Amino acid sequence: MSLGIAGMGWVTPLGSGVDTVWNRLLNGEVSSAGSIEGPMGQVYPIYAVPAEATAKAPAHPRLRRSSAISRFAVVAGLAALEDAGVTLNDETAARTALVFAVSNGGVVYTKKFYHEIVESGAKAASPLLFPETVFNAPASHLAAILGIAGASYTLVGDGAVGILALKMAEDLMASHALDRCLVVGAEEADWLLCDAYRKWRLLRSAPPIEPFGRPPRGMILSEGAGAVLLTRSAALQIDKIAAGTNFRKQSEAGASVQEVFSELCRENESDLVVASANGTFIDEAERGGIAAACPGAKVLAVKGALGESVGASSLWQTIAAAQSLRTQQVPQVSSFSGEAGPPSGKIRRALVSVCGLNQQVAGLRVALS
Amino acid sequence: MPEISPSTDRLNPARVAIVAAGIVSPLGFGLHETLGSLRESRDCVTPVTRFAVDHTRCKTAGQVSDERLARAGEPQLRSERLHRVARMMILALEEALEQAPGFQPQLSVVGTTSGGMTFGEEYYRGLKGGRISRRRAASLIANYTPQKPVMDAQETFGLTAPCQVIANACASGTNAIGHAFECIRSGHYQRVLAGGYDALSELVFVGFDSLQASTPERCRPFDRERTGLVLGEGAAILLLENLESARARGVTILAEVLGYGISTDNHHLTQPNPSGSGARQAMEGALHSGGIKPQEIDYVNAHGTATPFNDAAEGKAIAELFDGVPVSSTKGMMGHSLGAAGAIEAVISLLALQNQFLPPNINFRHGDADLNLNIIANESQAGSLRTVLSNSFGFGGTNASVIIRAVDS
Repeated sequence: MSLGIAGMGWVTPLGSGVDTVWNRLLNGEVSSAGSIEGPMGQVYPIYAVPAEATAKAPAHPRLRRSSAISRFAVVAGLAALEDAGVTLNDETAARTALVFAVSNGGVVYTKKFYHEIVESGAKAASPLLFPETVFNAPASHLAAILGIAGASYTLVGDGAVGILALKMAEDLMASHALDRCLVVGAEEADWLLCDAYRKWRLLRSAPPIEPFGRPPRGMILSEGAGAVLLTRSAALQIDKIAAGTNFRKQSEAGASVQEVFSELCRENESDLVVASANGTFIDEAERGGIAAACPGAKVLAVKGALGESVGASSLWQTIAAAQSLRTQQVPQVSSFSGEAGPPSGKIRRALVSVCGLNQQVAGLRVALS
Repeated sequence: MPEISPSTDRLNPARVAIVAAGIVSPLGFGLHETLGSLRESRDCVTPVTRFAVDHTRCKTAGQVSDERLARAGEPQLRSERLHRVARMMILALEEALEQAPGFQPQLSVVGTTSGGMTFGEEYYRGLKGGRISRRRAASLIANYTPQKPVMDAQETFGLTAPCQVIANACASGTNAIGHAFECIRSGHYQRVLAGGYDALSELVFVGFDSLQASTPERCRPFDRERTGLVLGEGAAILLLENLESARARGVTILAEVLGYGISTDNHHLTQPNPSGSGARQAMEGALHSGGIKPQEIDYVNAHGTATPFNDAAEGKAIAELFDGVPVSSTKGMMGHSLGAAGAIEAVISLLALQNQFLPPNINFRHGDADLNLNIIANESQAGSLRTVLSNSFGFGGTNASVIIRAVDS
C-alpha cells in the first residue's frame, strides 16, 4: 500500500516552515550551536529551536502550561495541514488519525518534577507538572487543538520511531475508514539528555557534526518537530516502508541496516539516500548498506546541519527526501565517499535510512507518482 | 514486509485467534497462579517496599516479588543491565512461547507508560550525588528506554520483529492488543505479538499521589465511598495469529479477538468527560468492529480505577450501553499497572472465558446510587461466558476497548 504525502510541517534549529528550512539547507546553512549548562557547571553544545520558530503556536488553553515539545508538535502539525490545504471540522476530523513519535518526550518537566522529589520530598511534587511528563501529553494537546476524537497513538522508540509511526499510519489506513493520518515526531532538548548521551560516549563536545567522517567524533543534540500528513494518494508517495528489525550490539548494526536496504531496494534502486548518519557508529553501519544496495545513489545526511533530534529525526529525513523529489535539488551538507553534490539526473526515488542509537533500524522509500 | 493473506477484503476481514498468553503480576507468576488468585479473590496489594513513602498519602501498591523475579529464569535473566520489568517481560513471553513453540511474530506491539523509569531515577540521583560510575551510567541510559524491555524479551528467544511501543498512558496495553488485532484482521499480517508492561517507580507513584488520584485507603472500584487508585506493575503478552492460519497449523486456539474500539476524549488532560462519552465511544467502536450487539456481552472487565471521576464516567457509559451486564474491576486486587493494565486484564478476561467464572471486584462495600451497575462484589462467581469486553482509559483522553470471544471447538 502506498501513501500520499499531502502536507508537511517542519520546526528545526534552522527555523520553521518547510520551504524556509529547505532553502537554508540548499544554501549550505548549518544550525548555530548554542550551549546549555547543567547544575554542576557542565556545558554542552546544543542546536536549539529559535523562539521565532514557534511564534505561530495558537493561544490555546492546552498550551498554557505545556512544555516546548508540545509547542513544536502543534506548530509542525498545523503547518502540515495548512500545506495540504486541509481544515479540520467535526466531519473531517472524524476521518483523521494522529500518530505521534517520540523518544525522550517531555524531559524538561520530567526532570523538573523528579528534581523536586529528590530535593524537597514527595510533598513538594507539583500536580501541574506531572501530567505533562506523560509520553502522550503532546499528542493529547495536538488532538484537542485539532478536534481529533478517534484514533490517536503515541509511539516511543529510538531514532527509528518516526518510521515505525509512519508504518503504524499505513496499517491504520488499511484498517480504518480514514481519509488521512497526521504523523508527527517531536523532541525537546535538555542538559540532562546531553549528559546522558555524553556518558554513553555518543556526544561531541563541540560542533560540527561530521556525518560519515572517519573516525566518528560524535553527535550534537537538537530539538524540534516534523509532521507529515498522509492521504491515500498525492504527487509524492511513500511507496514502501520497512518496519525494520533490531540489532543487539552496535557492531551488528550494519547487518540490520543492510537487511532494511535490501528490502527497500529489491524492486528499484534509489537515486538518493537520506541517511541518519550523525557522527557516531551509525555512519559506518549505513556506509555498508549504501555501498551494497545503492552504490550509485547520492547521499544526504541532514543531521550535519540540523543535529540529532532523535524522536523527530526520521520525520525530518522523510521531509528532506520529499523536498528533494519536489524541488529536484539536494543540499550539499555532507560528504560520503566524495559523492556529495547535485544528482546528475532526475531524482525519481529517495530512500530514507534510519539506524537508531538504541537498537532499532527501519527505512522507507519516497517516490514521485 | 508482512505476508499478504488472501483475506485483505474489508468486507471479509480475517479472524484473529489468541494462540498463547503469558503473565507476571502481583496476582502471581503465570496463568495458573493468576487464575488461583482471581478465584480466591486474593488481595495482593501490600505496603510499598521499593522506595520511601513516608511523605506520600498512599503507601500501598500491587508489587511483583523481586525475590521471585531473581529466582526465576536463566543466568542471562539475572544480568545487571536488565531492568526488572524486562525480567517480567521475559517470563511472560517464555510462558506464551511454551504454548506456541516456533511462533515468529512479524510485528510486536507492546504498551507501556514509563519504560524503565527507575533506571532514569537511579541515573538522576547518582548524578546529583556524584556517586555513579560512567559504566553504570551508560548502562542505565541504554536500558532506560521504553523499547528495551521488549527487545530484551525478544532477544532472549531469538525474535527480531520490529517493535511498536505504544505509550498511550493507561490505555496502552489495550491499544497494543487492539492495533495488533487490526493488523492481522486487515490481512497484512499473520502473526503479531501484543502486550503491555510497566514497573512501579517513585516518579510515577509520587505523581499520582500529587494529583490525589491514589488513595491512602483500600482501592474500592465503583464503591460509593471510593477514594482513588493504588498502583501496580507487571507484564502480559498475547500471541495473536490469523485464525485460519492457526487452525491450518493445528495450533490450540484459546479465544478470538473479536473487536476493538479507540477514542480520544479531548475534555481534559487527566480527567474524562463526565458524560462518559469517550468511554462509550470506545465501547461502541469495539461492538461495531466486532459486529455484535451490546446484549451479546456477558462480562465487562472495567477500567475501574476507583477514582471518583473515572468510575463515574465509565460506570455511566457501561450502564447506558449494557443492561445489567456483570461488571468488575480487578484493580482492587492488584493495583493499576498502567501500561500493562490492558494486557493483564485481557489475560484475566481470557481466563474468565476459559474457566467460566466472573472475576471479583474486591473491597466493595456500598453501591453507588448514581451508577446502575451489576458489580461482581468481593467474591468471584461462576458464570456462563462467551463474549467479554475489557476497557482501558488513560491520561490524554485515550480510551480503548477490546472484545474477546470463546471459540467453538
